[in-house]
Amino acid sequence: MTSRNSAASRGEWRIHVILIIAVTLMVIPFVWEILTAFKTSNEVASLPPTIIPANPTLHAFETFFTSVPFWAQFSVSALSLIMRVVGQVLIAALAGYAFARLRFPGRNVLFVLFLLMLMVPSQLFLLGQFELMKGLGLLNTLPALAIPGIFSAFGTFLMRQAFMTMPKEYEEAARLDGAGTLRTFWSVMLPMARSMIAALAVLTSLYSWNDLLWPLIVSPGGGNRPLTVGLASMQGQFGTDYPTLMAGALVCTIPLVVVFLALQRQFFAGIASSGLKG
Amino acid sequence: MTSNVSSPVGRPRRRTGLGARTDWWALAMIAPALIGLAALYLWPFVSTFLKSFMNVPVFGPGKFNGVDNYTKLLTDPEFWQALGNTALYTVLVLIGIPLAIVFAALIQQVSRGRAVYRVLFFLPVVTLPVAVGMVWRFILNGDFGILNFVLSLVGIPGEYWVADARFTIYAFAVVGIWMGLGVNLIILGAGLQSIPTELYEASSLDGANRVQQFFSITLPLLSPSIFFVTILTTISAFQMFDLVFVMLGSVNNTALPDSKTIVYLFYDAAFVQFKQGFAATIAIVLLVIIMIVTAIQFRLQKRWVTYD
Amino acid sequence: MHKKWLAAAAAVVSVGMLTACSTTAAEPESTEPVTITYGLWAGTQTPAMQAIADAFHEENPNITVELQELPWPQYWSGLQTGAAGGTAPDVFWMLAQNVRPYATGGQLLDLTDAVAEAGVDLADYPQAVLDLYDQGDGKLYGLPKDFDTNAVWYNKALFDAAGVDYPAADWTWEDFRAAAKALTNPAAGVWGTAAPIDYQGGYYNTIFQAGGQVISDDGKTAAIDSPEAIEGIKFWTDIMADGSSPTLQQLSDTEAETQFEQGKIAMYMSGAYWALKMYQNEELRPNVDVAPLPTGKKQATVTSGIENVAYAGTKHPAEAAKFVMFASGPEAAKIQAESGAVLPAFKGTSQTWMDAMPEFTNLQVFIDALDYAVPLPVQGNAAEWQGMQADYLTAAWNGETSAADAAKAYAEAINKVLAEG
Repeated sequence: MTSRNSAASRGEWRIHVILIIAVTLMVIPFVWEILTAFKTSNEVASLPPTIIPANPTLHAFETFFTSVPFWAQFSVSALSLIMRVVGQVLIAALAGYAFARLRFPGRNVLFVLFLLMLMVPSQLFLLGQFELMKGLGLLNTLPALAIPGIFSAFGTFLMRQAFMTMPKEYEEAARLDGAGTLRTFWSVMLPMARSMIAALAVLTSLYSWNDLLWPLIVSPGGGNRPLTVGLASMQGQFGTDYPTLMAGALVCTIPLVVVFLALQRQFFAGIASSGLKG
Repeated sequence: MTSNVSSPVGRPRRRTGLGARTDWWALAMIAPALIGLAALYLWPFVSTFLKSFMNVPVFGPGKFNGVDNYTKLLTDPEFWQALGNTALYTVLVLIGIPLAIVFAALIQQVSRGRAVYRVLFFLPVVTLPVAVGMVWRFILNGDFGILNFVLSLVGIPGEYWVADARFTIYAFAVVGIWMGLGVNLIILGAGLQSIPTELYEASSLDGANRVQQFFSITLPLLSPSIFFVTILTTISAFQMFDLVFVMLGSVNNTALPDSKTIVYLFYDAAFVQFKQGFAATIAIVLLVIIMIVTAIQFRLQKRWVTYD
Repeated sequence: MHKKWLAAAAAVVSVGMLTACSTTAAEPESTEPVTITYGLWAGTQTPAMQAIADAFHEENPNITVELQELPWPQYWSGLQTGAAGGTAPDVFWMLAQNVRPYATGGQLLDLTDAVAEAGVDLADYPQAVLDLYDQGDGKLYGLPKDFDTNAVWYNKALFDAAGVDYPAADWTWEDFRAAAKALTNPAAGVWGTAAPIDYQGGYYNTIFQAGGQVISDDGKTAAIDSPEAIEGIKFWTDIMADGSSPTLQQLSDTEAETQFEQGKIAMYMSGAYWALKMYQNEELRPNVDVAPLPTGKKQATVTSGIENVAYAGTKHPAEAAKFVMFASGPEAAKIQAESGAVLPAFKGTSQTWMDAMPEFTNLQVFIDALDYAVPLPVQGNAAEWQGMQADYLTAAWNGETSAADAAKAYAEAINKVLAEG
């Protein structure tokens, strides 16, 4: 449909109108969030509501930054994300390659096991994962936030799909040159899978950054709480002080949005690849 | 993910093997994933299953109590209400899929601005769900929310969309659709791109207009992707937690007693009440429900999904 | 752990509580630097708590106290997860309605001997608060940090605008209800009062004022469905029916306390713990005053208080116990009182608290209320049955069912929890 003729594109403005309306609706909540963040608590309670802040103030941001350890929570979110992404990509690539290309006993049984785990809702694992973290003395630590996400059946599955679609010639050539399995994997196959790796990394980042339930459980103490938990907690502290809540929501949202704008292609590829057909 | 599952397993074996002999490197490469799987997924699964037959006190070891938790859960009106809420939410959120199909198709039609549209539709996906909940709680505020203000301009009386339990689940669904549209749009967009343009050209020659083409070509050829996003949306809607927690739970909202979802019930039992045995039972029941629903969807797909 | 702790406690005591430590007797009382954590929920008290931690460190240079704040909604689940996981703070705030599972579950350090040997006089604390934490096992698990009673905060400007007289000291339920009606002005978005489903600041007080009880004397069954108790609940459902309060939905979208601060609510029945927050709101300050609760059949207010307790799993039991005694002791009480954040439990410090907010001239009502205060009902797993209040009472508040029916259903649910122990 991309190569539509000019007759069709003449009617295009109508489509644009529909899409612009839809997109406006999508964006309004963000606009409202931003506008509110610059208002005072009394202004948001005024009727009829003002759209543009009457006296734009940074008060809400000041309240947010003085009462929420934003940078500490930001680094917790960021560090646990990095741990999770690096760990997952590495482990998933190794296993995915083995499943795709190598021969070993029990391969199919194991793979089915992985697939089954994909279908189980994650809540089923939470109690046991919590016990495990507790047993390892990892509660309230960064690794506890990252570890369960590192071992992802989904990542393994995705990497397997990527390796399966690759032509075998490169691999065979490498082998003929005397490269061993690991070397073939590391210096030939892995680089070829980089677009899938990027997609997986982006997808994992998204899950990691947005996750609320697991950090809520595993970081009960004040120490290593990521932004999601910190933000949720703010509501307890500020109740219905909406400007401060909006300022907090805005500040915590910006980092990932910036990353997304920079890496749109990888984000879209990541999402689309989760829908790849086997 | 699930739709992928059906095909790869049954794939002919010879495609993957490089030779008949076992590659010991393979075991080493797979070991980390396997250990993680066993420790963080298999074992927790088994332990949750066992706990679902136990009474586990706040502090100290648990005791087996047979199917007590199950009878307690299944006779608990709160559970049935949560199940009803979850099911209603899921059905409502599925409405987002036709929307996503339409918007994906429309974006496909335009020659300029595609990237901008995609980015804007996608923004909610990269926004913290916690932040989303907070923003919408304010938008839907009964007294000075912007929605009620807009409604009042056209003479419609406002409601307490979040705090009035009659509307809460619907409010959640609106937020859920808004949040999920971007993902569905991208997946369906990828599906659209894989439809060969020649098909449209041929049917144009036959005199079909765009709407006819949409129904005779786009929808059938897109049906595998539609099926996939349906499964994905259903499963994640069944596990909805964040919105209940952020918009009701952590703020003592009066709508909370009537608006809990199953996973909220699970969280509350497991990590607020600390009734881990009971929580485990909820998790197992949730698994069974999701399996049944997914199985039904797979059954039904034969009627409407076309594979080429 | 227990024995080690006893030895350690003896060591603490041997050098006396307020002298710098230089003991050589037991291993935990070494001069090696030790950091203990102090768990509390975030709010206006934090600066005072930091000051207490600093003061303690000054006296005990080898012990550093680190505050571990959790927001209120996550405090209890976080604490429970921490205790189950062995990572709870060394010392933390406890509420009477939550103490039972911790005490019976062996999660709290027994401070009986340490307190006795340090010469702490329990008569320095309100007996009602000590009783709340008494588990009947002869052990002392904590020391009261503060206490609270309830009164009616009111906005003088709204009274003036409506031409309603300020509350008299001996006002009654009828006076309150009439004032609430007269003060309500829908056009201006002003309500006479706010009636959230609030046990401590709200309906428990009126239940006791009506001569009722929440739980029976033997602590085994609910009494919230007795005719007197139902009267106490009706006090609130009547106000809702009068339209003198925002609806529960409105109170969910904007909390009662926020609405009071926004000048939309004329009278707000609640505790002394709001004093500082209202005082800090400079716009609001000149308009705020406080009156005693209105009287029903008799006068009553529930009272409760936070205790400082120590975690049984702490690695530094001696230091933790020492800090508990300090944080509930006279010097800490003075710091708390001066900050205005809360009424210290340690006797004789309430004047300092009142002096911290000189423009609020009637704060004495909170202290006078001790004369007719009854302990907060906290039998059994109180947090659990209190947590169910919204499930059962919402319908009565919304006028969908009678106070009697709601109380009856709630009583049955409470009985089930009490039966579980």
